Amino acid sequence: MLPNTLTREELLTNLRAAYARMWVRLKGSNKEVTGLVAEIGLPILTIGAYVILYQAIGLPATAGGAVIIGGAMIAFWTNVLWNMSSQWFWERESGNLEMYLVAPVSRMSVLLGMAMGGSVNTSIRALGIVLLGIFVFQVPFQLADPLTVGLVFVLTLVALYTMGMLFASIFMLYGREAWNTANLLQEPVYFLSGAYFPRIYAPIVPFALQAAGSLIPMTIGLDAIRRLALNGESIASVWPHILALIASTLILFPLARRALNYMESLGKKEGRLTLRWQ
Amino acid sequence: MAVADFVKSAGESFRVGWKIESNWTDPVLFATYQVIRPLASLLIVAFIVIIGASVGASANAAFYSQYLAWLIVGNAFYAFVLQIMLGMAILVHVDRTRYEVLKNIYISPGTLHPYVIGRGLVSVVNGAVSVILTLLFSVAIFNGLLHMNIPLNLLSVNLLMLVPAVILGIISLLAIGYMLCAVNIVSNRMEFILGDSVSGIFFLLGGVIFPIALLPAYVRPISNVLPITYLLNAVRESFGLLPASSYMSDLASLALTTLVTLIIGITVFRLAEQRAKKLGLFDRKSEY
Repeated sequence: MLPNTLTREELLTNLRAAYARMWVRLKGSNKEVTGLVAEIGLPILTIGAYVILYQAIGLPATAGGAVIIGGAMIAFWTNVLWNMSSQWFWERESGNLEMYLVAPVSRMSVLLGMAMGGSVNTSIRALGIVLLGIFVFQVPFQLADPLTVGLVFVLTLVALYTMGMLFASIFMLYGREAWNTANLLQEPVYFLSGAYFPRIYAPIVPFALQAAGSLIPMTIGLDAIRRLALNGESIASVWPHILALIASTLILFPLARRALNYMESLGKKEGRLTLRWQ
Repeated sequence: MAVADFVKSAGESFRVGWKIESNWTDPVLFATYQVIRPLASLLIVAFIVIIGASVGASANAAFYSQYLAWLIVGNAFYAFVLQIMLGMAILVHVDRTRYEVLKNIYISPGTLHPYVIGRGLVSVVNGAVSVILTLLFSVAIFNGLLHMNIPLNLLSVNLLMLVPAVILGIISLLAIGYMLCAVNIVSNRMEFILGDSVSGIFFLLGGVIFPIALLPAYVRPISNVLPITYLLNAVRESFGLLPASSYMSDLASLALTTLVTLIIGITVFRLAEQRAKKLGLFDRKSEY
């Protein structure tokens, strides 16, 4: 548990732990070229299918740009889901979780390291997806305000990975449910976030669907990035998105911290923190 | 090995696989889980078409409702691909690394092949549940809830056309799943990307959400050798969404591609098995 007041030494120890976890993630994820190629190439297959579907029903070429951005953002959701939310499950299965728990650092610093490493790794892959997508499908982009795109992108990642921290605590005590729950949170989230739609906040999309989708930070960030990168809009049209992303982070972070402490203490009481093969 | 022993071993493998995949939760939640993913996939493409219709992107309303019916059927039956590819691609990794039982299965007399088949059949059952529930929910949502009058009548399906196509399609998918298992026996780096790669290729090239005629000419020959292309054509013909006159030629092409896939699948698996035995790969650990 993270103490309320940190000494300088404790802070440094936690930052070192975060750095160490980030380093492992960066090194581990990039040592296999096949993995890197697959993580860039695979989304292009799905993106390609949707771009051709758009053409089949007569939507304009700019709509293809929306799919490419959506496909790139999905890489972050997948990373949050499989390498952040379900990470404690994997660590328990491989016998590492107890080592994290006895280490003299906050679990939040370990999660922070995972988030930093994961976001850097996935950014490289997302950039590859966008560049490859633009090259293959020749869709037009209209980027008028790159600084705001960068700001919205960073805020989206912060909110998304904070949500991943919250999920990590919930997944901590899962057995085989972890695998199935992570699977379950893929396509439904792609649908709710409108990742493959031209726009989620369109009049034809039911309000209930838009409201449910807005609970996922990716939906808000994705819509803002599309407005900025495809429609040439400026910060004036996306400030509500920026506020919503900041609010998401401010709500999710303390929730994640509380949930992590609660689940850890519950796991200790029930003796489930070292259970394998459930 | 006698056929009876093979069937018995495959049956036991099916029983184990079914328990592993289903007893982590109660049956209602399990059924919900089985339908939510394919239904969400379907809703993604359906909403794209609905958004397209709302901006009047193409000719007339009839085009969209017919296209939606075509798309619902293709997307629903694609669940077989997803279930079998993802299930069989991860099988070797899970049994070798996570549960550490692959070596025990291998040293039991003649159980590896029926074991793989039995576990593959669990994915087939999961796929069938997904297909049926997705079709029922689609009709309920688009015709019942949204009153879109999509020309999709589940009671008028020609089962004499549907059943042979589905059986052949499942055999071909199991044969491809067999190849994925073979690759994973000799490799410990592909387990998390193989299933997604193959199902992604089938999604793009198999005519799941758009007719393959819309693909660039240079990739169409690949579509023409994939069993999934003919499976989906034959299935759509049995639903009356494509002219039935091409059914026999699609079924013949499906039978031929299935036979070729089966031969390649068995050969690749046997080669992988020999190599794994020679290099001692059946108990290799790849997690740390």
